Amino acid sequence: MPERPEAISTFTMLSELALTDRAAFATGAAIYGLAFLLGLVVLLLRKPYSRPVMFALLTGGFIIQTLGLNLRGAEIKACPLGNSFEIAQFISWSLVLLFFIVGPAFRLRLLGFFTSGLAALIAGGALLVPGWDKPYPPGIFGGNPWIELHAALAMFSYGVFAILALVSVMFLIQQHGLKKKQFKGIYQYLPSVHQLDLMAKRLLITGVGVLTAALIFGAVFWIDNLDLVPVFKLSATCLIWLGYIVVVVLRMQKKLVTRRHAIASIILFLLAMASLWPVQSAQEEAHGAVKAPASNTK
Amino acid sequence: MGDSLKSLFVLGSSHNEAPLEVRERLALSAERLAKLQQTLLEDGLIRECLVVNTCNRLEVYGLANPSEDTEETVRNYLCRAQGVSRALLDRHSFWYTNLDVLQHALEVSSGLDSQMVGETEILGQMKEAYGRAKSAKATGAVLNRLFEKSFQAAKSARTQTGITRGQVSIGNVAVDLASRIFGKLGKSRVLLLGSGEVGEKTAQALKSRGVADISVSSRTYENAHRLAHELKGAAIDFDDFVEQLHNFDIIIGSTAAPGSLLSREVIGKAMQSRPEQPLFIIDLALPRDIDPKVEDLENVYLYNLDDLSKIANENLEARRSEIERARDILKGHAWNLWLQLRRRELMRER
Repeated sequence: MPERPEAISTFTMLSELALTDRAAFATGAAIYGLAFLLGLVVLLLRKPYSRPVMFALLTGGFIIQTLGLNLRGAEIKACPLGNSFEIAQFISWSLVLLFFIVGPAFRLRLLGFFTSGLAALIAGGALLVPGWDKPYPPGIFGGNPWIELHAALAMFSYGVFAILALVSVMFLIQQHGLKKKQFKGIYQYLPSVHQLDLMAKRLLITGVGVLTAALIFGAVFWIDNLDLVPVFKLSATCLIWLGYIVVVVLRMQKKLVTRRHAIASIILFLLAMASLWPVQSAQEEAHGAVKAPASNTK
Repeated sequence: MGDSLKSLFVLGSSHNEAPLEVRERLALSAERLAKLQQTLLEDGLIRECLVVNTCNRLEVYGLANPSEDTEETVRNYLCRAQGVSRALLDRHSFWYTNLDVLQHALEVSSGLDSQMVGETEILGQMKEAYGRAKSAKATGAVLNRLFEKSFQAAKSARTQTGITRGQVSIGNVAVDLASRIFGKLGKSRVLLLGSGEVGEKTAQALKSRGVADISVSSRTYENAHRLAHELKGAAIDFDDFVEQLHNFDIIIGSTAAPGSLLSREVIGKAMQSRPEQPLFIIDLALPRDIDPKVEDLENVYLYNLDDLSKIANENLEARRSEIERARDILKGHAWNLWLQLRRRELMRER
């Protein structure tokens, strides 16, 4: 296959440049942080920030983060979702990827600013906790493509829920400004409440759809290997999924709309993120973390 | 010096002294205004009289015969005319005499004392009030001179300074707010209640930004029909608009109704069938058309005259120096006018 030697040569070239996966993740997070700070300073000066600059910075951060994920994936020979650090990197990567899809299509002002902030927080935060990047045995997915697809989709859905939470925060800020008759500052640059609410509804349905698909693919593996799946992980994931399903149903019945919908989306995302660490710990216990560091690709 | 000029007075209450809740209690209907003007003239104390009544101010200008009781008498008449307590009026009103009256009238005419500093609509309202009083033979040589000069001074203050530059209209503020609520306005449907001038201008501003359609409802169907025709919209019977509220995204209240037209319950009921769609209500009426409690409803955004004016005045700082310059110009005009009136009075006494 012609792609493989090419990939290997790129990999070798980067290795020669002495770029480690962690260095790539750190650079990506730093660029996201820089984008956020730049946006913050400009907004504090009560001016609109340059969208091309924000887009360029996010693109730069995204490319370098993708490189980091590639290096890590090449090292472990699987999708890098084996520990909390990798999961955090993957979620922030999904978040930025979704921004590239949602941002230009719906022209949601300030979404880039909020995305850069959350991506820097998740990706940078994970780098600050060395314990999250624990080594794990190779072949954590047991060579089963279904479980690998399940993991990737599940984390991607968390990326969707992350951007949903951001849109919800933006909605609450804009609504607060409108209700309190605030006109200047950040309020004038935010998208309209109606646009944000519609976007939140679409993201909710997309996220739930992706998570449902992830759970269906995961179920193919669980049914055959019930003893390998920690009960805590299964229950936590199902509870989060159930929570989002309830929100979708109430939203469709128009019983949970606008402000309450935004609050529910933020709370559920925080719960989902909070559940990741215990879920990961439970998984590590089940697998019995042993050898092989997967963190120093030179 | 002639004593009569010492009895030039203005009793007033404006946005500077009274909040919206008080102003709507003091606002006079056209009939009550005419009656008050007539009653004051019938009292032997008042020689000339003119009442200005807008959504932001109620002012009684007059020339009284020399007396110690003028202020007391005028205050009591006004309280009786509108059925408000003396304590309320005293708390939220001002009383100027002589040269201060001239300076005040000039500042009002030029828009310096307006809630949205520099607005031009007040000049039309002052002219209208003057025309009404003059045709009712309520004014005489002094008030005629005062008002005619104030109109000239207003124009010169405007042309010589930049007080109107960068001024934001209520319509523009409403359009910006609508954009913050709906984004693009292409699908937004507007209901205009009443045929007030500010309401019409606001509807026109929204129309220029491409709202889907505008419907007009007014107590006088002919007015609604005429305005709907101008705005290329439809007229709705005043008795039917409540049933159709849920179809509209933006409601502009601009009627002269004595009380509120839309209660929290009515709007709440309309929102039940459109919980996901925001509702933007612009209450430009005084007394207000919309119950202020409507603001507590989810997904409803209520803005009244004070809210819109506050937003429109946010660039006031940039015009501060021009405002001071205009005030100085008006001071000169007021002093010249005062001297003219005194001279005339002296000639008359000889």
